[in-house]
Amino acid sequence: MVCSAQGHVYGISDPTEERSVYPVFDVEWYSADLVDEDSASAARRISAVRKMAVGASKFVNACDFDVEGETIGFNLLRYACGGKEGTALRAKFSTLTEEDLVRAFDGLTPQASLGLARAGRARHAIDFVWGVNLSRALSQSALGLGHRYRTVSVGRVQGPTVGFLVQREREIREFVPLPYWKVVGVFEREGRKLNAEYSKAKVEERSLAEKVRDDCVGKEAEATAVRKSIAQVGPPVPFNIGDLQKEAYRIFGYNPSRTMQIAERLYLGALISYPRTGSQRLPPSINYRGILQGIAKAPEYSLMVGELLKGEPKPVQGAKSDPAHPAIHPTGERPKRPLDTSESALLDLVTRRFLAAFGPSARRELVDVTLGVGGHEFKLGGGRTAFQGWMKYYGRYVSYRDVELPAISEGDRFKVVDVTVDQKFEQRPARYNQSTLLEKMEKEGIGTKATRADIIATLMGRGYVAGESMEVTDLGLSVVEAMAKYAPSIISTELTREIEEKLEAVEGGAEGEAALLRETVRSVASQLAELSSNEEAVGKEIDSALMTTVAKSFVLGRCPVCKTGELRVIRSKKTKKRFVGCTNYSTGCRASAPLPQRGTVKPTPKACEHCSWPVVYIKGGGRPWRLCVNPSCPGKRKP
Amino acid sequence: MKCPLCGREAEGAFCPYHLAAKGRVEAAYPLWVKAYGRIEWEEYLDNVKRNVQTGQWAKEIAEFLQGV
Repeated sequence: MVCSAQGHVYGISDPTEERSVYPVFDVEWYSADLVDEDSASAARRISAVRKMAVGASKFVNACDFDVEGETIGFNLLRYACGGKEGTALRAKFSTLTEEDLVRAFDGLTPQASLGLARAGRARHAIDFVWGVNLSRALSQSALGLGHRYRTVSVGRVQGPTVGFLVQREREIREFVPLPYWKVVGVFEREGRKLNAEYSKAKVEERSLAEKVRDDCVGKEAEATAVRKSIAQVGPPVPFNIGDLQKEAYRIFGYNPSRTMQIAERLYLGALISYPRTGSQRLPPSINYRGILQGIAKAPEYSLMVGELLKGEPKPVQGAKSDPAHPAIHPTGERPKRPLDTSESALLDLVTRRFLAAFGPSARRELVDVTLGVGGHEFKLGGGRTAFQGWMKYYGRYVSYRDVELPAISEGDRFKVVDVTVDQKFEQRPARYNQSTLLEKMEKEGIGTKATRADIIATLMGRGYVAGESMEVTDLGLSVVEAMAKYAPSIISTELTREIEEKLEAVEGGAEGEAALLRETVRSVASQLAELSSNEEAVGKEIDSALMTTVAKSFVLGRCPVCKTGELRVIRSKKTKKRFVGCTNYSTGCRASAPLPQRGTVKPTPKACEHCSWPVVYIKGGGRPWRLCVNPSCPGKRKP
Repeated sequence: MKCPLCGREAEGAFCPYHLAAKGRVEAAYPLWVKAYGRIEWEEYLDNVKRNVQTGQWAKEIAEFLQGV
C-alpha cells in the first residue's frame, strides 16, 4: 500500500493558544491543522495513514531524500504509524522516472543515523522558539501603545536578511554622487572610425579631462601596444538550486520562488531531477549516456547530442556537493502533458546547461590595443569566440558577446577625429533584487537552499520591503533599528550562521541537536529580557512606521471620479461590512464600491485597463483572484 | 525632540538617518570643489538636490540646508 503525505502533516507549536503569551519554550509536534490554518486537511491525511498502518508488517519511507522529506517521513512513522521511525526502510531516489523508482525499491536501505530528520526537527523547533517569542515580544511592544494587534515578525533568518536590505537602503538614501568626466577619442584609419576610451575610466577633475582633449585634438595617434591573447573558457558547472534560480532570473526574470515552483512541477513530471539540491556535481551513476539518448529524442537537441555521444561523455564538475542528491539535470523523459511557457523555458535551460557541461572549453581571441597621443593613452578592446565548444550547446543563454576590431599592428597611425569629454555622476548602489539577495544569503551562509526563497517572500508579505526593486519600507527600517539598539544578535549574521553550521553537522550524523536547542532557548531568553525591559522604547521605535504601513495597506489608489482623493477600504460602523470609499467623501465625492466580505484584500500597483479604477488582490478560502473594484467596469460586461 | 525632516526621534538636530546624510553631504562638498575647480556652497546644494542619483535623505538635507 502506498500513501502520500503531501507536505508536512505535523507542525511545531506551543500548548498556549494565546498569541500574546511569551516566552514559550515548551514546544511539541501537533497535527498541522492545529498549527496552521492553511493545513486544514492534515488531520484527514494522518487518519488515512493511521488506518493503513494497522497490521502493516513493513514500512518504507519514500519521501524526498532531504531535510524536509526526512522530517515529514520521520514524523508520520513516529506519530501515525506507532513509532516505526527506527525500523522503517528507506527508498532513495533523485528522479521520479520509473527506472529510478524501481531501482530505489529494489535497493531499500535501513534508516542510518536519521541525521537529516533530527536536524530537520531541530531546525523547526529552533525556528519556532526563535520566531514566535521574538515576534510576540515585538507585536506586544506595538500593542502596548494602544493599537490593534498586528504581527511584527522577526525570524531567525529573516532578521539578518532584512538587516542586509536595510544596510543597503541606508547607503542608497544617504548617497551623494561625485562628478567625474569620461573622455572618449574618435580615431580614424583607412576610412574606419573607432572609439577608444581614455586609459583612466573616470577623470575626477574637469580641468584634467579638458586638458586631455586639448592635448590630443588635431594630432595623430600611434598604436603603441597590441596585445593578443587566447582565453580558454570552461563550461559552466551543473546547476544547483541557487545557480538555477540566479540564471532563471538573469535570463527570464523569474523570481527565486517562481523558479522553485516551476522546477518542482518539472520534477513531479519526472522531467528533471530533484531540484532542492546544493550539488554542482553529476556522478556517473545517473547514467550520462542514457539521459543524453533520451534528450536526443527531441529534434531540437538531437544533432547536439549526436556530437556529444561520439566520444565518452564526461561532464565538468563544480566544487559544491550534496550527499543526498546530484546536481539538477534532465531525466531525458518526454513530457506526458503539454508544458506551459515557463515550464518549457526552464526545462530547456536545464537541458542546455546539462549538455553544455559535457562540451569542450570554448576559445576566445582577445585583443587589447593602446593608442598613444599627446602624452596620453587610449584603450581599445575586442574579443571574439574562435571556437564555440560548450557555448554551442548553451545557445541563447551564453552571455559572451563578440566585439570585432580591424587588424591593428604596433606603429599603425590613426587620425584623431574628435575627443569628447562627458560629465557623469557616480551611480548610487543598486538595490538587491530577489536574485542578488538570494546570492547574498548563500554567501553569508544563512538559510537553506530550501527556505531562502520563502524567507524573501515572507519579508515582502510582512511589509518590510515593497515592490520588485525591494525598497525597504519605514516598517523594515524601524524594526531593524529597534533590534540594533535593543537586541542586536537578532539581526546578527554570526549567530544565525553558527546555528546553521551546527545543524549541518547534525545532518551529517553528529549528535547535539538537544544541546543546540537548549543553547537557542538561552540565547532567545536573554534577547527577550532585553526587549521586555525596553518594551515601551521598542514600541515607540516601530509605532509610527507600523501605522504608516497599516494605513498604506488600506489605500487602493487614486480616485478615478474626483481625481484628487484616494480610494480606501472602509469598514462600516453600522453594518460592520467593508467597502471601498473615497477620502474626499466629506467634500462631496461619492465614489464607492462593494467588496467581497471574505478573504484578505491587498492593493495592487495596477489600475484597471478598462476603467482606471484600482485592481485588488483577494486571497483566502479558494484560489486567490484579482478584482477591479468598479461594479460598473466595462471589462465585466458579457460580450 | 523630533527630526524636522521626517518626524523620527532626533539625536541632536536630526534623526540618525538624516544626520548621517548630512555628514555625507558635507563630506562631498570639498570633492565637488576639487572636481569643478570652484563651486559655491549654495550652487552645490542645488546640484545635489536636483541630481537623480542623490539619495532621498541626502536630497532632503540639501533642501533643508538651502533654506538655512
